[in-house]
Amino acid sequence: MKNLIAFLRRFQIFLLFVGLQFIALATYFSSLSFPRSQYLTTSNKVTGNIMAARNSVTHFLHQEETNRELIKANKILHEKIPENYIRISSNEIIVRDTIRETDTIYEQQYTYIPATVLKSTYDKRNNYMTLNIGRKQGIKKGMGVFSESGVVGTVYQVSDHFSLVKTILSMNPNIDIMLVEDGSFGFLKWETHQARLANLTGISNDKPIKKWGKVMTRGGGGIFPRGLNVGKVYRVSPIEGRALWNVEILLGTNFKKVQKVYVIKNLLKGEQIQLESNIPKDPDNE
Amino acid sequence: MNKFVTHIIRFVVFVLVQALILNHLEFGWGILIMVYPLFIFLLPNDLKITFSLIIAFAMGFAIDLLSDTFGIHASALVVFAYLKPLVFARFAKQDNYENLKEANIYTMGTSWFIYTFGILLFFHHLWFFLFEIANFGEIIYIFQKTVLSLIVSFLFSVGLQIIFVPKPKER
Repeated sequence: MKNLIAFLRRFQIFLLFVGLQFIALATYFSSLSFPRSQYLTTSNKVTGNIMAARNSVTHFLHQEETNRELIKANKILHEKIPENYIRISSNEIIVRDTIRETDTIYEQQYTYIPATVLKSTYDKRNNYMTLNIGRKQGIKKGMGVFSESGVVGTVYQVSDHFSLVKTILSMNPNIDIMLVEDGSFGFLKWETHQARLANLTGISNDKPIKKWGKVMTRGGGGIFPRGLNVGKVYRVSPIEGRALWNVEILLGTNFKKVQKVYVIKNLLKGEQIQLESNIPKDPDNE
Repeated sequence: MNKFVTHIIRFVVFVLVQALILNHLEFGWGILIMVYPLFIFLLPNDLKITFSLIIAFAMGFAIDLLSDTFGIHASALVVFAYLKPLVFARFAKQDNYENLKEANIYTMGTSWFIYTFGILLFFHHLWFFLFEIANFGEIIYIFQKTVLSLIVSFLFSVGLQIIFVPKPKER
């Protein structure tokens, strides 16, 4: 016992060092794998309010640009409205331009909740964004987020008044996207470490891909509606030893400037997931 | 007592400047200016290492809370505080460096300051980016971030001292 106490006294600085490191790194790595605690992020009440105060100082710097973008976005969204509806009757032909929200032929599938970005980064390995709306405004974990010009990310954590978004500038965003031109699809990844460029993986190289072809979401998983803009094909290069293209996408969203975003609420998500759960499991893969 | 208040004010100012301003300046190429280690460096040398470790942890964690980094700032700053006396002793010109009440670029002399602060800052940055990226496949990216950020952070820290630390009168 005496020896133990002597040992502890001798190495107390080192032990304290190890202990503090353990706390810090355990917090960090547990947050990477299972995000449990919202208290350690900017979505908690105190830090969320500090961020809101910071935003109230800085947001007017971008006011004019934000306004211009919003006007543009309104126009695009108005044109898009029919895309947000699913037909529930099959024996009538409807002219899509005249659809109203109250129409009984179409049922609304997606609604959008507008939000302001309080804080965001684009230069880290995993980039997050704090929004000024939370659980009380109906935000739930896993909802999709987009800006006027493209996909932004998915909701990662929610508190009562704030929410934290994991942007597509992260390790594995894994969003279902496709080329508009021929419908070939793959996953969105971010391996370029540049705020404007992301990757589209899983496109086989038997067909050439046109530069500046549009890329949009495919609508799998029920997080994003089909046809949401992602960006444009920027560069195509072969992957050595594999029959795949490495497609780089110039993202529509400019993460250096984004101020206003929309959170997507899928009213029929439960139905889609329930249906997809009926797919029998492949016995070979188990 | 007076010194004590100065350090508390410094603590708050460093945390706010780092979390609300510097963490949002993103220049591209992975450059991130981290200036808060300077606070630990400016702590008096006769302070017990146990205390400076705990202060470092608290400061890092405060910055983590404000920038969604979940503990890597804290971890890197604890490394900085732990290595500080070791590196100080290694590069000390005189043996009684503990008598140096406050270590800054003027009291230490330029070359001693560059060695100690540069090396400590390098370990801090390397540790930070190592754990931020946490993927050895991207080791080149880690070094790119470390070296570029190190240069900018170092110059920034020197600049801060030139502006804010009063120059001692010539004897």
